[in-house]
Amino acid sequence: MHLASDYEKIGLRLLDCIDGLFIFMDIQENILLCNKRLEEAVGLKRESLVGKNWAVILYRDTASSIQQQMFKAVIDDSVFYKRKNNFEGLFLDNTLGQRHIFWDIIPVSTNDTNLEGILLFGHDITELRERQMTLKKMDETMKNIFSSIREYALYVANLDGNITYYAMGAEKMFGWGKEEIVFKHVSIFHPHEDADSLLPGLFEQVKKIGQVEIETNLIKKDKEVFPVILTVSPFLDTDGKLVGYVFIAKDITERKKLEYQVFQAEKMAAIGQLAAGMAHEINNPLFVISGRLEMLLEDGGFSPQIRQDLVIVQQQGDRIRKLVDRLLKFSRHSTPKFDKINLNEVLESVLPLLSYHKLPEAKVTIQKELADDLKLAMGDFNQLQEVFLNLLINACQAMPQGGVLTIKTYNTEDSFVAASVSDTGCGISPKDLKNIFMPFYSTKKEGTGLGLSICYNIIRNHNGNIDVDSEVNKGTTFLIKIPFAK
Amino acid sequence: MSYKILVVDDEEPVRNMFKDLLERQGNLVKATFSGEEALSVVSNEDFDCVLLDIKLGGISGLEALKRMKEMKPTMPVIMITGFGYDEELIAKSKELGCSGYIGKNMPISQILSNFKLYLHKAKENAVD
Repeated sequence: MHLASDYEKIGLRLLDCIDGLFIFMDIQENILLCNKRLEEAVGLKRESLVGKNWAVILYRDTASSIQQQMFKAVIDDSVFYKRKNNFEGLFLDNTLGQRHIFWDIIPVSTNDTNLEGILLFGHDITELRERQMTLKKMDETMKNIFSSIREYALYVANLDGNITYYAMGAEKMFGWGKEEIVFKHVSIFHPHEDADSLLPGLFEQVKKIGQVEIETNLIKKDKEVFPVILTVSPFLDTDGKLVGYVFIAKDITERKKLEYQVFQAEKMAAIGQLAAGMAHEINNPLFVISGRLEMLLEDGGFSPQIRQDLVIVQQQGDRIRKLVDRLLKFSRHSTPKFDKINLNEVLESVLPLLSYHKLPEAKVTIQKELADDLKLAMGDFNQLQEVFLNLLINACQAMPQGGVLTIKTYNTEDSFVAASVSDTGCGISPKDLKNIFMPFYSTKKEGTGLGLSICYNIIRNHNGNIDVDSEVNKGTTFLIKIPFAK
Repeated sequence: MSYKILVVDDEEPVRNMFKDLLERQGNLVKATFSGEEALSVVSNEDFDCVLLDIKLGGISGLEALKRMKEMKPTMPVIMITGFGYDEELIAKSKELGCSGYIGKNMPISQILSNFKLYLHKAKENAVD
């Protein structure tokens, strides 16, 4: 007895040392024994707890809540089936406030048949849950951050190059859905000809020097190739071991387009300056040559043969004069005389002029789709007439076997008046298309190669844009955009 | 009808070309190579018309035009340009009081007819 009593004392002391909620109760679920931690938690002395139902103690403020009923059901199950259970729930701690408690429910039997009581042991897992919640929130925040990034695509691949993480921005950029792409190899984002040569080297470099940034082309699901700045960084685990690669791709299509436009404009300006200088230098001696020649012919006294030769010299001189004139026109920086103009009127005024030009005899049908509600534009009527006459003549010449010439006008959403001239003619090869606005670049036997370069300059001086789209043997479309009149 | 004309151009062959061309039409022509020289000639002599190149060594054609007009406001001055039709230059010359312009890129026949037309107009205005 003495021994047993000592054990009891030690047992109770040990229970009080446990940093958990300890309750032992009979099968009627009334408390027989509890520890000090429980006393503190419920703010009642042990003596007043004994004999009370556990629910009255643990759920004193929220009696018969759904949680309490669920807890009771689990305890009843343990009593009935004599088996262990657990239950996770909230508990209002007298000293610590709202806590997350994980309860072990353990049936205690003296032998297999007789159930002596039920042991409830509650572990405080509040901090753990909070940490989990924080992690979950962080994860969500990260996801939101990555989803909010628009012009960037972020994706991660493992050491084999297979995609393991693919953010929203990437979905938008590439057009592939997350489900379609995860575990595919990153080479799927690279044009076929690059993938094999680029990626292994890139991975090697990342392993050696860390982050690598390159300018390259990537490919979308719909096969559209677009330029990006691609940053590849090593993806390290918590021990600092390389486990993959982090890719950040920035779409630079717009920037490239702008750069090209600036480059093109600068090139044209430089050529223009050169042309103007040359034209001036040619005009002086040419004036003297033509003048002297004219006087010689006026004086006469030559054999018919010499006269004929001099006339040829005069004609060729005249040809140079006209060429220099065109050059000057191309290079001229005179600002257009802006007026509020209707582009439909410009087009209508140009169409009758077509008949004065030597054009293919085959039948060209002209289709007009001119917008009735076309906004007024700021432009120089005469200069724009010249531009459209040029485009219409080109279009007709591109259809020696006849075809359809379509002229369209419309307002764009970004405050431009647009006019397109399309033909169903021979089209322009990609190589020629690149140089189409370059002065002296002509594919026509008789062309000076200045027409479109003059058009280009005129439209640029209008703060507008001229673009061309063409497919060999299908046709060509020129699109001109100039700003609305304010 | 014969006029007394001063031609100003810094390139000798061009200067002589204008001189010969206008003399053939029965005019009396004097030629100088710079704006400075032209101003000193004009200060001593009267001309029915001055043909003045826009691009000159020394003072520019526009500067020469300005000073000439200050000196003799009614004397017609016609500008010569090798640049073809240049709106800005022409607008500036007009502001300074020139009577017209001739481009070296024009056919000879047009140069002569333009010259006559401008001179005729200038004379008419002077009579008015």
